[in-house]
Amino acid sequence: MTQEIESRVSAALRPVAPREGFSQKLLARVMAEQPVRPKPRRLFSEGAKPLAWWLTASLAACLVLAVGVQQHLQQQRLRQSGLEARREVVEALRMTSQKLNLAYEAVKNQSTSLADEKSGV
Amino acid sequence: MNEAQDPLDEQLVKARLGERAALALLVQAHQRSIYSLALRMLGTRDLAEDLTQDVFIQLHGKLRAIESNKHLGFWLRQVTANRAIDQLRRRSRVPMTSLEDEQQFFSAESDADPLLQRHLRGLLADLTPPARAVLLLRYQEDLDPVDIARTLDMSINTVKSHLKRSLETMREKTVGMQLARCEDNPI
Repeated sequence: MTQEIESRVSAALRPVAPREGFSQKLLARVMAEQPVRPKPRRLFSEGAKPLAWWLTASLAACLVLAVGVQQHLQQQRLRQSGLEARREVVEALRMTSQKLNLAYEAVKNQSTSLADEKSGV
Repeated sequence: MNEAQDPLDEQLVKARLGERAALALLVQAHQRSIYSLALRMLGTRDLAEDLTQDVFIQLHGKLRAIESNKHLGFWLRQVTANRAIDQLRRRSRVPMTSLEDEQQFFSAESDADPLLQRHLRGLLADLTPPARAVLLLRYQEDLDPVDIARTLDMSINTVKSHLKRSLETMREKTVGMQLARCEDNPI
């Protein structure tokens, strides 16, 4: 039974002919098509020169920009730390001066009271 | 034992070297089979002609990779079946051929019962695209399950299961058809 069905299906599914004129149309289309073989495109090949030039120039510009920005930031950081150090030194000097003034005032007061005591006795 | 040399192998070599007549011979040798596969997969002559054309144009650019006429047949069937499956998947509903195309769907040389042809067409329309491709490669192209599995990149078990289910459906329809005939023509 299965074999009978298989052979009947095979008989029914024989290849069919396409419409009149299709073969000629198909051949004409196939013949008209040239196989397009893409050329291997190297980065610095003749056709790719402008592209490679722009690519290289852009990379170089980016590199220069990056180095410049880096240096500018470094200088800013150095300047900032210098200013901070100067501020700290000025503050330290101011405090030292205050202490010295206090000491001077104390010594001066003490010597005045001693002199008064001697003259009063 | 060496296989007998296929005369079209020589034409393939010439076609690879750019000989147009040889390419024309190869196209003529395979176009009927590829067109039929496309027609029975897609259901309409216009779509089948477009696909056949596209496949042969694609072949022109791939000729260097084709090793023999047998390989050429395999490649053509593989590309046609897979592209048809892709097209069918993109469409939500598969319109099988209209009535005016009915005569084009089966060969005029075929002596198969017209009722069986109608059932077969109904079966093809109901099958999923991969199952339809399996049935056509088996019974139209006469490929064995191993070659079908290679062509459609599926497992042999899947191919066998598609074939089994399709034949069972066909058997049921055929039995129904015979019963109907018995009822129409009582002794």
